[in-house]
Amino acid sequence: MKAGFKFCVVFLMALMVFAVIAGFGAAPVEAADFNWKKYEGTTVKVLFVQHSIVDAIVSKLADFEALTGIKVEYSITPEANYFDKVATSLSSRSGDPDLFMSGAYQLWDYSSAGFVENIDNFLGDSAKVVPDYDAADIVKSAVDALKWDGVPGHAVGKGPQLGLPLAFEIYSLAYNKRAFEKAGVAAPKTYDELLKVCDALKEWNGPGSYAIAIRGARDWGTIHPGYMSTYANFGAVDFKAENGKLVSQVNSPESVKMNEFWVELIKRGGSPSWSRYTWYEAGADLGAGKAAMLFDADNNGVQQNWPNASQEAGNIAWTVMPLAKAGDTPYSNYWTWAMAMNSASKNKDAAWYFLMYFTSKPFALYASVDKNSVDPARTSVWQSEGFAKKMAQQEGYIDTFNKTIDSTTILFTPQPYFFETTTEWAATLQDIVAGQYKSVKEGLDALKAKMDEALKDVDL
Amino acid sequence: MHTQMEWKETSVRKSQALSAVASLARNLGLTLYALFALFPLVWMVICSLKTDAEMYNTVFRFTPTLSNYNAVLLGTDYFNAFFQNLIVAGGAVVLTIVAGVPAAYALARYDFKKKEDLAFQILSFKFAPEILVILPIFTIFQKIGLYDTYFGLIWVYQLITMPLVIWVVRGYFEEISVEIEQAAQLDGYKWFDVFFKILVPLIKPGLVASALLAFIFAWNSFTFPLVLSGFKIQTMTITSLRYIASDTVHYGQVAVAALVAVSPEILACLFIQKHLVRGLSFGAVKG
Repeated sequence: MKAGFKFCVVFLMALMVFAVIAGFGAAPVEAADFNWKKYEGTTVKVLFVQHSIVDAIVSKLADFEALTGIKVEYSITPEANYFDKVATSLSSRSGDPDLFMSGAYQLWDYSSAGFVENIDNFLGDSAKVVPDYDAADIVKSAVDALKWDGVPGHAVGKGPQLGLPLAFEIYSLAYNKRAFEKAGVAAPKTYDELLKVCDALKEWNGPGSYAIAIRGARDWGTIHPGYMSTYANFGAVDFKAENGKLVSQVNSPESVKMNEFWVELIKRGGSPSWSRYTWYEAGADLGAGKAAMLFDADNNGVQQNWPNASQEAGNIAWTVMPLAKAGDTPYSNYWTWAMAMNSASKNKDAAWYFLMYFTSKPFALYASVDKNSVDPARTSVWQSEGFAKKMAQQEGYIDTFNKTIDSTTILFTPQPYFFETTTEWAATLQDIVAGQYKSVKEGLDALKAKMDEALKDVDL
Repeated sequence: MHTQMEWKETSVRKSQALSAVASLARNLGLTLYALFALFPLVWMVICSLKTDAEMYNTVFRFTPTLSNYNAVLLGTDYFNAFFQNLIVAGGAVVLTIVAGVPAAYALARYDFKKKEDLAFQILSFKFAPEILVILPIFTIFQKIGLYDTYFGLIWVYQLITMPLVIWVVRGYFEEISVEIEQAAQLDGYKWFDVFFKILVPLIKPGLVASALLAFIFAWNSFTFPLVLSGFKIQTMTITSLRYIASDTVHYGQVAVAALVAVSPEILACLFIQKHLVRGLSFGAVKG
């Protein structure tokens, strides 16, 4: 009898341990009183861009399907062509896809055309949200970056929730510790220090190596990372509302000063091929030991610093971007990869289940700790031991994030011609660096005229 | 006399030497050109055998690895995309030949109203950039259930393959004398036999060359499969770019994907090289 009792206790304890372990691996969000099977049998179609967060999502699709009974069909497209596919699909108003990944800038376009469902319709209805979802845990600035009221000139942070963040990027300075040791310099904290460090790091790793990798290609991607963050840190803004119109401020004294600094930075420390540099070239040069610093998205350098990812893997560290003086608030621009819902979707509730599951706390932890999606959109993940352990090799990464995230927001003024105006901006920057204008001011005056012309039809 | 013979011999020797030098120079030039032309392929093979850490080394010393092949061929559904591409591109060319060759014959042999307008209309399918016409096609495909289907893609690929085959093969039919057909019919051949036993062998070089080019265009098509499929069917042109992710790029894997992607085209070109050269040059020298 006694032996039988012992056996029962051991058996029950083993069962409990098994249940707990199984519970961790199975469903990210479980609640006894929430009916995950409500939309069983529905098919949800999702458009993904190729990204590390998507690898994590795809690896958990079977779990989601088992939990909800919802079938998921998906398509993964490389970013270079992804938005052509999204724009075509949304503009057909067929309701296909139900969900799509997007950045905030693209959502300004799509929401202006009425293609985007307001996620507040679901988040605001407690009956539709699993009790332990904890929306307040999603990084607030990332959530706010995806809110916009649709009025050109109005800043993000107010209005409908156009999507929920899956991952994001902020801008900071990544540097090669080996290069800095070799040159005997410390991580620069101010603009002046940055220029001096650039001089010290010329050809630090032999011919062809240089100080700082920054983007310079003739497209909008050149403007939004380090450039826009520094632009804001100089106190410059892109547009101001004047007499019912958005008026470009790119030739303001603050902007001129910033651009003069930027041009000098490129000339003193940038790559000779700067004008064709995108995310990939800039990041690759840091990893290959060509560039000693990278002023770009924080996670760009991480991709080079995973073990065996590049020649300089393990040598890369992060610090807050240089500012006017040490200790100033670092204003960083934002990029978010968000999941948004097609307003023409015929399966909105099932699509919401997908969105809720893959923006949940347990999934965010899984994506960042078990997989390689960095910059998680959940505060709890940033504070978790698992993530700290995972990022231990990325020296200064979490610390830089913590010092920057509260002053991170979208620094552009939302307006419908975002891509046209920023691409023109990048082209002018190239021309200024190439010496096609007598002065920086002359180039920016010409750019202002073009931007004002592009926005002349936009009434506030 | 003796001097004249000596001079002739010297002259012959000189011309032989010159000819040998010219031959050597030609071969050397061609070898250099072959190296130049094949270098991208060689570079791709080298990249496919490198790790990410060694990717940016410009020296040829590296530790070869098959990890990129393992990641692409076994770790992802790349083969699936390869076969889907094969079905779509192959299916498109077969349909083009079945429908296009009789159409080319009709345009070459028969006189009917608006014949040239019709021929021009077929050619004009190639004029519009795909991205311009894709939205209405997308909407129509969604409505009639052809979106994300093999048949839908094979059908829309006709815009790429059909004009090429019809216009090349039509030229070949026009070059064949109508008396040959009449003679065969006098010998008791039915029209069907005349077409398959007399005409098709005569147009074979042009048909093979244009079919191969049509296959290459269909195989490499990007915009149509990008927008008109993706959930159930994803062709290789789209899938091969997956190794360039938004946040990172694995050039070794891109090289493997590219090598696999070009292999059918290289094989097809090697096998039908004879027809290809003849097919493309045959019509040009005919007067």
